[in-house]
Formats: sequence, C-alpha cells, structure tokens
Amino acid sequence: MQPRADDIRTALAGGVPDAEVAETTLGVVARVPLGMVLDALRALQAAGFESLVDLDGTDTGELIELTYRVRSYAHGAEAYVKTTIAYDGELLSAWEVYPAVLMPERETAELLGLTLAEHPNPKRLLTTDGVEPLLRKSVAVRTREEVRFS
Amino acid sequence: MSDPRNDVLGVGLLGEGLHHPGEPPAGIRRVPTGVDGLTTEHLIINMGPQHPSTHGVLRMLIEVDGEEVIAAEASVGYLHRGIEKLAEHRRYNAIGTLMDRGDYVSGIHGETALALAAERLGEIEVPRKAQWIRVLLAELNRIASHLVWYGTFGLDMGGMGQFLYAMRDREALLDILEAITGQRMMFNYVRPGGVIADLPAGIAEKIRVFTDTFDAYLDEHDALLGGNEIVHDRVKGIGVIDREKALAFGLTGANLRAAGVDFDVRRARPYDAYAEMDFEVPLGTTGDAWDRYQVRMGEMRQANRIIRQCIDGMPEGDHTAKVSRVLRLPEGEVYASVESSRGETGIHLVSDGGDTPYRMHYRAPSLFALQALEDVLPGHLIADVVMIIGSTDIMLGETDR
Amino acid sequence: MSPVLAASLRVLIAVGLMMANGVMMIYMLRKVLGHLHLRYGPLHVGWHGLLQTPLDVVKLLTKEDVTPRAVDRWLFRLAPLAVFVPSLMAYAALPFGPGWSIVSLDTGLLYTFAVLSLVPIGLLMAGWASANKWSLLGGMRAAAQQIAYEVPLLLSVLPVVLIAGTMSLGGIVDAQQGLWLGVLPRWFVLNPLGLVAFALFVVAGLVESNQTPFDMSEAESELVTGFATEYSAMKFGLLFLSEFSNQFILSAIGVTVFFGGWMLPWIPVEWYAEIPVLPAAVFIFKVYIGIFVMMWIRGTYPRVRVDRMMELGWKRLIPAGLALVLLTGFIQKAVM
Repeated sequence: MQPRADDIRTALAGGVPDAEVAETTLGVVARVPLGMVLDALRALQAAGFESLVDLDGTDTGELIELTYRVRSYAHGAEAYVKTTIAYDGELLSAWEVYPAVLMPERETAELLGLTLAEHPNPKRLLTTDGVEPLLRKSVAVRTREEVRFS
Repeated sequence: MSDPRNDVLGVGLLGEGLHHPGEPPAGIRRVPTGVDGLTTEHLIINMGPQHPSTHGVLRMLIEVDGEEVIAAEASVGYLHRGIEKLAEHRRYNAIGTLMDRGDYVSGIHGETALALAAERLGEIEVPRKAQWIRVLLAELNRIASHLVWYGTFGLDMGGMGQFLYAMRDREALLDILEAITGQRMMFNYVRPGGVIADLPAGIAEKIRVFTDTFDAYLDEHDALLGGNEIVHDRVKGIGVIDREKALAFGLTGANLRAAGVDFDVRRARPYDAYAEMDFEVPLGTTGDAWDRYQVRMGEMRQANRIIRQCIDGMPEGDHTAKVSRVLRLPEGEVYASVESSRGETGIHLVSDGGDTPYRMHYRAPSLFALQALEDVLPGHLIADVVMIIGSTDIMLGETDR
Repeated sequence: MSPVLAASLRVLIAVGLMMANGVMMIYMLRKVLGHLHLRYGPLHVGWHGLLQTPLDVVKLLTKEDVTPRAVDRWLFRLAPLAVFVPSLMAYAALPFGPGWSIVSLDTGLLYTFAVLSLVPIGLLMAGWASANKWSLLGGMRAAAQQIAYEVPLLLSVLPVVLIAGTMSLGGIVDAQQGLWLGVLPRWFVLNPLGLVAFALFVVAGLVESNQTPFDMSEAESELVTGFATEYSAMKFGLLFLSEFSNQFILSAIGVTVFFGGWMLPWIPVEWYAEIPVLPAAVFIFKVYIGIFVMMWIRGTYPRVRVDRMMELGWKRLIPAGLALVLLTGFIQKAVM
C-alpha cells in the first residue's frame, strides 16, 4: 500500500528538486517549500496520483503546516505533501491541478486565518464573517457566556 | 472537464442584495438570449436550508432558466460546531461523542476512525474480539444508514412509502444497536483499545432474526424503487459523475465505486477484522444515479453477509485492551481512515505527547461529494436536483463538523 | 319557493357536499396512507381518530392568517376563491341518482370540464401573487400541466359520448343499463373501446386532479408546496379543499361515464330506483372506491419528472385520444 520513498523522490526529482522525502508514522511525506507546492502536486499527478483526498492545516505555534493527501488508485498508493505557511501568508489555490481542493482550501483558510489566492470562490465555507480563525492555537474555546459578555 | 468554478453565480454569500431602482430585483438575472439583443430573466433560487429535501441544512443556490438549472453553488456551515477545535480540548476517550455528532446517522464509523488513529499512534494492540465487535457494529450501522438513504431517496422522488418501509427495518436495527451500546444514534461505544462493553447476552439470536428476515425485506425495498418504471425513467443516465470527475473531486465510497473505481478501504487497507471477512465490493459502470442506487443496495446485501459471519464466528476474549484511563499518545502524527456509509472517513491525528490531541482533522466524505454536485447539477431540472443530491447521500453533520 | 331561494339552497347543498367530502376524504387519506405505510394514522381524537379532521378544520379556521409583505394583496386574496369557486360549480351537474342532480344539464359533461378548466387560472394567480419563486414555479407547472391534459381528458370521454349519443351525464348513465350478452353489465369500461378510453381517462384524470404520480404543482420534495407555499389558515384550507373536491369530481365523472353511475350490476334499476337515497349511496360508494385507488397510487408511486409528463401528454396521449375518437366514429357508423 505504501509507496517507497524512492518512488516519490523520483517522481518529484524533475519538478521539485528541493523536496525532502521521508517515511514517517504518517506515511511517505514530501516536504516542499510553499512556492513549490503546485509543482509538487503536478509532478505527483503526472506520476499517477490521480486523486487528492484530503487537505488540512495545523497551527504549530509558529506557522501553519499544510498537509495534502494524494492517492493513486491504479497503484494503490498514497503520499502526503507538506508545506508551511506564515500566519499572514497567502495560500495559492491548487484547484487547477486537483479540483477536489476547492472546498477544503476554503475551510482551511477560514479556520486558520489565511488568505486565498487565485481561488475561484474565496468565500468562507463554514462560519460567518467576523468569526475568528478557530483552529489557531491562540483562539481559546470559550463558553457562550464568555463570548456574549466579552 | 468543465470549469468547476463555484462562484459562477457571483452573488456572494446570500445571493440577495439591496434592490436598486432601475435594476432587476435581487434573485433575478438578465441574460442575453443571443437573438437580436433580446434578454431573458433567470431566477436565482435559494434551495434550503429549510427546503424539505436538502437533507438537513444544505443550502443550494441555483440559477434556473425555467426549470433548467444553469448554475449551482452549495453553501454549508449551518451545523458547524467546531468538532475539530473541541477535540483539541478533550481526552481521547471523550472524543467519540464528538465523532458521533459528525456523521450522526452512522456514528460507529466516526468513532472507529478516531480509535484506529489513536491505536496506531499509541501502538495499542486491540483484542481480536473487540475487532470483531467493531466490524459487527459497523455493518449494522451501515445498513441503518443506507436505509435512511434509501428512504429519503424515495422521498426525494415523491414516494412516501419507501421511507416508512425503510424505517421499519431501521427500527429493528436501532433496537439491536441500543441493546449493545445503550444508545440509538449517539453510541459512544468504540474507544481507543477496543469497545466500551462486551456484547449483552442473547444478542446473537436477536441479530440472527434480523439478518434472516432482512434479505427478503431488501428484495421488497428493491422492488419498490428499483422495480418501478417511473424510477428507472428518472435515475438512469441522470446525474452522471464519471470516473474522471469522481477522481478530480476526490469522491470516495459508493459514489466512487458507482463510477467503476474498485476502491474500498475495507478491502484495500483492511482495518479491524475485515481481512477475515468474506464479502464483495459492488461496482457500477457509468456513475449515474442508477449506479449509485445499485451499489448502495448491493452494499446492504454484503453488510448483511458480514453481520452473519460476525455472529457465527464471534471469538472469545476481552472486549478491550488494557488502556490507561488517561491515554497519552507519543509525539507524532498519523492518518487513519475507515469505510463509512458515505465514503472514506479519515482522521488526521497530531499528538504532542499530551492527553489530548494537538490537532485532529476529520475528513468528511460528504464535503467532497458536495463539490462534485456543483459541477454535476447544471443542465438538469429542479426535479433532478433533489434526486441527485439524494443519490449522493450527503450528510450535513459531517460536512459542517 | 322563489327561484332565488331555490338557487341559493342548491348552492348551499353543493357547499355542504364539498365540505363533507373534504372532511371525509382527509380522514380517509390519513387512514389509507397510514395503513399502507405500516402506521395507524389518526388514532386518539375520537373513536379511531374520527374527530381529528373536524378539529383540524377548526384549527385552520382559527389560525392566524399570515399575509407576507411582498405579496400582491388583491390577487393573493382572490386566488383561493378563483380555485374554490370552479370546483364548487363542478358539483352542479353530477348525477347522484335518477333525476338527482343539483342542475340537470343536457351538456353536463362539457359543462363540468369547462368549469374545471378554470382552476389553473386560480393556481397561476396564487403562484404569481405569492412573490415566492417556488410558488411561481408551482403555479407555472400547474397551468402547464392542466392545459396540456385537458385535451386528452376530453378526448378520453368523447368515445363514450359517441356511443351513448348524449352529453348529458344522466343520459350516459341511462345508456349503461342492462346486461351485455346477458352476463356483463353494459358499463362502458367493459366495452373494448371504452376500456382504452378509460385507460386514457385515468392518466389524464390523475394529472388534472394533481395526484401522485403527477402532483407536479405541489411536489413537496421539489417545490416546497408549490403554489400553496405562502398560504396559511383558511386560505390554505380553501386551496386544499378544492384539491380534494377536484379529486371527488374526477372520480365521479369516471364512475358516471365508465362504471354505470348509480347503477348496481346485475340488479335491474327499476327494483331500487324508487328507494330514496339508495342510488345516491351506490354512486358515492363507487366514487369513494375510485378515490381509494387514487390514494393507493399516492401511497405507492414516486413522482414522474415534469418534462416527461408533458411529453407523455402532448406526444402520446393526444394522438392516441384522437385516434380513438376516429376509430370509435368509424365503428359506430359501421355497426349502425
């Protein structure tokens, strides 16, 4: 099921030479710089990873780490692409490579307080205007009373 | 592939603005007909969140020319409860209750996904009996969930009987689930390390009565919808999500298999006791609403088969591993997914070594199905819109989380 | 008795009939659908829930009548009447027994259909005046479907008119007296041409009375409730009532034209024609069997898609109806 890290390395070698590929508890993870994400995704798509199945972001305390999960049904393989982005960073949409990111990108951007670039519909997905980016570590879970009387 | 831009309506979040004199009122768009500079008016209609067949609180903005849909945009979030954020403040044992409220019609699957993620990260060995119980419950829950889909699919097409017949069988299932877990829907039964309690005495006979009758009932259900000429006329060739589109939009589960992609998490990456089970994965060919119907009906049959194997071969032993009450997982991250009733439900768990997750991401298969809908709906009639939404079996509890 | 008083009494009788039918049919619908759907229907108010519907009428009468701000007030108020009055008028020519009709008309059949064809105007008014897009779609659908199916509906009864040689509803019933080959009642449904005509009538009648599988203009899963979405209280009650009464009227026409009206099979009509109320009871019993079948269909079938229904009407039923009329004409000429 898991592809060998070498396979991913070869797939990325042409387009994204900076990628660091490693096998972790998560699976085969390719860490790429923010600017190279689209190239990495394109290279993986060309290598047979035909579907993007997930995208999420984590607030690490210093920056935000994005995880793209791509899958190849033909080879039964899965790979993860990770990148980091600053709190006030601009997330370049990957919808032209994988249309599946349309809604997950909107969700990630609104819940982690990022701005979307070149997204066809950069609206909020789940919350209304004015709600703070909920998944940031600096945003505390508060009771209804605390919100109302703050 | 057509342009999947989803702000085609360009009307913002509400789709209604202030009415300025001299302009058409909100919700109406003038468009050229292409004949001598004449224009026609398209209606922009708000379907939901209180529409009777948007399955809870989905809101579709649709632009219609007469009855034909020109563009569609989904608007979700009416059920957003911040499950991912709340999970960061709960111990691993307590997150199950949140997962139940994600996909609330098949809660066991969400709980299992979380438990699997925690077990993989903590390298917890689950006893064989617990694995079998999980499979048993997952399949019982899958049938219960598919019956809800079947009933509402009938309702969406205007048939009332199908729904109530499906509820009869679901009631029997919920009785069984209640006897095992103590709850009809919000089970909170699967925990990291196993399940919370052993099966009650005498439940095997109860389940056997159900499985023995269910095959005949399923034929009856199939005859009621699948044997009806009107239904054939309405679903065949309608709402086609072909292989290319299904992959592009990241569909999983029955919606993907209806397009002919042979992928089932239970088969491709067996978790719990699925490696020991004998079952088939029903596949479609074209990915139209009829294929999705057939695949789901087939899945119910297979689920019934798995349930039978579970009660026949239920092993002896403990129902849970020895897990400390305050579970601390080592630092690291892991991704675990299960085949839920609606597709692949995944948990991306990041731990910093504490007793709560550092970050828990919940992959909702319905969210991806919803994206595909925006692309598929244009070109169909309003009557088809509700049918197609029904055929993809989306669950708003999990899209909104 | 002065003619004005007599006419008013007749209208009152029609209103009473309509109300009684409405209450009876709503109760029946709930019970029939309930038992078809593995439940009981109303059970607790009165004996087996008998009082449920009268109390619901009281509820409808006493509820707040909400008029949304954006509606066209006059049209909005007028529309329920425009739907209600024609369906009340259609009671006039129904033959409940020998000489038992509110007005005896030589063109009773034509009159009933003509009056019923006014209903879609009211539905369109309701849909337009509501200032609701779902209502508008529902009103448009109602108008389109009723106009499309009026022609096949009329064509489906024309063969019977040709055979019976009269347009009076009472006359058509009289033409069905006696036995066919000494075995079968001479009901038109047992006549080969009449049977085909009856099949046409069932489809067109279901559309015309807005019943499943052709309940396009309400289509609660598609259009919320279509033209009735914005109506509340007794305005909604009137729309609802006239729908039930249309169902009654179409079933009554079906019984009159194809099932021998007030006649019992194999029993000569002279034997019981003089017994008061019995012919009317027979007639109403038959009508309710027809209504039961409609409810049975409603509880079982999903809805046809709107464009397929229009196709069926214009492309199949109208040519089929025309061909049938032509064929009947030829056969009548050849036989006579």
